[in-house]
Parts: sequence; structure tokens; C-alpha cells
Amino acid sequence: MQKRSLKNYTLRYLVIAILGIIALWAALFYMYIIEEVYDNIDDGLKDTRLRIMHEAESDLEILLTREYDIARFRVTPLPPGDYSRKSHIYNSKMYMPYDDDDEPVRVLQSIFSSKGQEYQLEIYTSTVEEDELLEDLLTALVVLYIALVVSIILINHFILRKAWTPFYRFMEQLRHYKIGGRNRLDPMPATIREFDELYTELSAMIERNETVYLQQKQFIENASHELQTPLAIASNKLELLMNRPDLTEESLVQIDEISRTLQRLKRLNRSLLMLSKIENRQFQPSGDILLNDLIKQALNDLEMLITSKNTEVAFREQGDFIAEINPDLASSLIGNLLKNAIVHNIKGGILDISVSEREVVISNSGETPLNKEQIFERFYKNEQNERSTGLGLAIVKSIIRLYPFLTLEYDYEGMHRFTLRKL
Amino acid sequence: MKILIIEDEQELTQVMRTSLEKGNYLVEHAADYHTALDKIVSYDYDCILLDIMLPGGSGLELLSELKKLRKEEAVIIISAKDAVDDKVLGLELGADDYLAKPFHLAELNARVKSAIRRKNQNGEQYIGWRNITIDPENRAVRVNHTELVLNRKEFDLLYYFITNPERLITKTSIAEYVWGDHTDQADSLDFVYSQIKNLRKKLNKAKAEVDIQAVYGVGYKIV
Repeated sequence: MQKRSLKNYTLRYLVIAILGIIALWAALFYMYIIEEVYDNIDDGLKDTRLRIMHEAESDLEILLTREYDIARFRVTPLPPGDYSRKSHIYNSKMYMPYDDDDEPVRVLQSIFSSKGQEYQLEIYTSTVEEDELLEDLLTALVVLYIALVVSIILINHFILRKAWTPFYRFMEQLRHYKIGGRNRLDPMPATIREFDELYTELSAMIERNETVYLQQKQFIENASHELQTPLAIASNKLELLMNRPDLTEESLVQIDEISRTLQRLKRLNRSLLMLSKIENRQFQPSGDILLNDLIKQALNDLEMLITSKNTEVAFREQGDFIAEINPDLASSLIGNLLKNAIVHNIKGGILDISVSEREVVISNSGETPLNKEQIFERFYKNEQNERSTGLGLAIVKSIIRLYPFLTLEYDYEGMHRFTLRKL
Repeated sequence: MKILIIEDEQELTQVMRTSLEKGNYLVEHAADYHTALDKIVSYDYDCILLDIMLPGGSGLELLSELKKLRKEEAVIIISAKDAVDDKVLGLELGADDYLAKPFHLAELNARVKSAIRRKNQNGEQYIGWRNITIDPENRAVRVNHTELVLNRKEFDLLYYFITNPERLITKTSIAEYVWGDHTDQADSLDFVYSQIKNLRKKLNKAKAEVDIQAVYGVGYKIV
């Protein structure tokens, strides 16, 4: 079903309702007017009748008026009989030469006697042409109706648009609202109570959600934090234990395995901590960073990994990529991307890095494209790799999200390719 | 050599103490801000291991107090707060080193030893064991007063072993110390073995009275 704007919604019903009201009103008005008109005319006719009858007593000439003429009455003698004296008024049509047509008239018919002779008196007067009146009324009403509807539409349009402005501005804000972002709703200068309530309630809701969100983020950070010490204790105790002279080879190897597992846990925890720190925006902004240098530094740090994977590295610099990023986050960003490209490379594969002023493109060998939607998800692992925390690219994405002028894209064209762009 | 551990976690203190005592250090312990301040004011130590979050106050405040007292102790901040700001602030306040929890005990030994040596302006400038002496400042190694030329990794490796004599150091710990954090992603730790093989060869050639022994494929020990 097509949704209508509230504005048009009321308008539709209003237009129909007004039509009904006007029609009903017109009918009542018409009846009332007609009655009033006839009442007036009839009073006139009755008055004329009295005047004629009064006149007839002194002027017998009147009784000889057989046809309608200037006086607009005629007197017809009746055979003797017992007639009702009651006046009788009815509508009729009469030919009127000026119009060359029959025109509606109101006729009063009355019986009276003069000097023992019964007469029928008929008096007429021109009356309203009902159909014309109706027509005129109808025209007037149609004009009124159109005028009403048009003005309602206009008023609706301008007044309501003005009234709804805060609402639409509010909607616009909600559209851009992101939880955990730093945007609060701007106060809505609403003179409309409903909008004011809406604003109050939504603000309160947002406030509550933000609090919960913050608490959860804080929880992850605190949890990771609190885990550090027990992890340190456990792994250090194992380290001490391994130095005991009475250990058999078997126990030593097993302790080492436990210790390695603990190292994995340490790494995972550290990554989680890093992630929540980024999302809690605990990194201060800073000056310009030359990513070219960071890449060289990272390649140097990753040398051992590169050697162990037998990766062939090509590094091409076509320009300086400079961005205003926190230096620690910048190294984490580059480090994670490069590490990712080496760790998930095939043995003896290629790592190709090309840097220009606006782009850093990191490509590495790989057989099948990765799932674009999921690779940046936390704990997403394409292959079962127990050494991978599954958080590296999630960290990368969080960092990118922190800097609106950076974008990162993944695509596959024979090689996995990550493109970091500066807008 | 006296070391003061300022740390509120009993168990962590205990393992650190055990490990350091094996290296023949005298270890004392303070679990909160005020005890720590008392000890710092009353005694002299060679090295202080300082946790930042303490009951009763911040480790960073202790550090300022220490500098006000013009104490010459080597200070290593040990913190679960892996925050860069803390690290920078701590080092600016005069700490000698910063170690984030969790750490390897072998690494702690290495850091303590070099921190003490750096502070010890009047005494021994070198770290030595058997007939090997290391000058960390110039990254030079001598065996029986003859210079032994090592590359960067071999030097780091030897330094790690010499600061942890006769102790088993796991391959993971070695890899992390010498090659950095990324080693955990390596497919194998074979590169540790080949580097040790080279170092061993050079040491033998120079007639060093030490041997680096493999311990059941778990790690290595210098004897």
C-alpha cells in the first residue's frame, strides 16, 4: 500500500467531509430560503386579496375584471353553491410576453361573495424561478467549495509545512544518527507539543542507549584489562616451572604447549583491548604522518615473517601518502594490513605495495576471493588458522572508521587487493 | 643488588620475586602507595619495578616523589595499562623502561639487568658471564678480551641469554624478544634455530666458555 503523508491524509478526508457538509447545508439553506420567499409572496397575495375585496365593495368595476391585466387578477362569477371560503395558493406557469416564455407564478385563489353573487378571485404574482435559483445556488456552492478546498490545501501546505519543519529536520538528524558516534540531537525549536514530546522521549531513549553502549564498550575494555594480570601470573608461573630441573621431557613439552596457548590468549586479549580503545576513541589526534616511512618500518619489523613465508616483496613509491592520523594507529593500520597480506599469503607468494599521493595499494597472492562483507568482521576467519586472532582487519576497520577522510576497499583480481584511499 | 617490587597483585609479585631471586637479587616488596613511599624514602635500591595502578595512589606519583628525592634508582614501569600515553608520561617522568603486562620473566631479567647497568654510572659498565663481556651501549661483545663481531640479531640473542644465564628460555620468548611481536604469526619458529646455530658457531670459534643447549625442542639454555 502506498503510504501517504499525514498532511495529504487529513486533506483527503477533509475534502470529502466538506463536500458532504456543503451539500447538506445547501439543501437546508435552499428549503429555508424558498419557504421564506413563498411566505413573503403569500403575504403579499393575501394583502392584495383583502385590498381587492375591500375595493370591490365600492367599485363594482373590479368585479368585471375577467382577464389578467395590469392589476394581475381576475374575477370569475361562479354559479351559486356552497363554496369554501378558504384561500388556496399554488404555483403555476404563465406566459409572459417580455420573456416570450412561460414563467413561474404564484397564484392565490379565493372565493368570495358580493351582493349574493359568488366570485372566484385569482391573483398572481411573479415568483422565483426555482430551477434558476437552484442553478445559481449550485454555482455559488461549487465556487465556494473550490475556494474552500483550495484555501485548505494552501493553508495545509504552508502552515503545516512550517509546523512540520522541525519534524523533518529531526528526521534528518535521526537518519544520520549512529550509536557511539559523538552526535547528539540538536534541540528542536518546536512550538508543537507533540514534537516536543517526541524530541524529549527520543533524546531520553538515545541517552539510555548511549549509556548502555558505553557501558558495554567499557566492559570489554575493563574485562581485557583485568585479564592481563592473571594471564601474566599464569604464564610467568609456567615459565618458572619450566626451569625446574626435575621435569621430564614430556612434562616440559606439555607445559610449553600450555604456555603457547596462553600466549595466544594474551594476544587475543591485547587485540580486544586495542579494538575497544580505538572504539572508545582513546587515541589523541596528532600531526601529519608519512605512511611511506611507516610501511618501510613495518616491512622491517615483519622481515622474519616474510622470510619464513618466502614472500617476494615489491614496494613501489610513486608519491608521498601523508595523512593526519595518530601515529600509533597509523602503525597499527599499516602493520595489520601488511601482516595480513603476508600471513594469508601462499608460500613463496607475492606482496606488492604501491604508494602514491592518494592511495596505498597492498596486493598479495591468493587463490580465491574473500567474502567482502565478512572479512572486516571480528573473529572472521577464512581458513582455520589457530595463530590468527581474527581481529586484525577488525582493528583496521575501526581505525578507518575513526578517520572520515580515509576509505579502505577490498577486491580480488587474481590477487587480494586492499586499497587505502585519502579523500 | 636490591630490587623493590611495587605491585598490589600478590601472586604476580611472588613469581617475579622467585624469578629475580634466582638471579641472586635481594627482593623487597610493597603492595600499596604508602608502604612503597616509606620504603623508597628509607632505603636505597638498585632497581624499582613499579606498577602504575596502586591502592592509595598512582605509580606515576611515586615516580615524581622519587625524582624529588633525587634518588638514582633504575625504575621500570610494569603496567597492565598498555596505554601509550602512560608509557610516554612514565618515561618523561624519569622511568628507565616500560614493560607491559603480561611479559616473559626472561624479558624482565634482561630489562632489569640493563636498567641497573645503565644507572650504575660508577661501577660496572658491562654485563658479563663466564669469559664473555657485553657492552650494551656500543653493542660490542668480547670473549677473553677479544672482540667478537655479531650481527644485530645475534647480539640481541646473546644478550638475552647472558642476562638469563642457565635458564630455559622458550623459543616463543626468544622470537618475541629478538624478532618482535609479529613472530606469533609465523608458520614455524625454525628461524630461531638457524640463528642460534650461527651464534653457537661464532661462540665456539671464539673459544667462549659457554654453550647454548637445546632443551627438548622447547627452548634453549646457556650453560
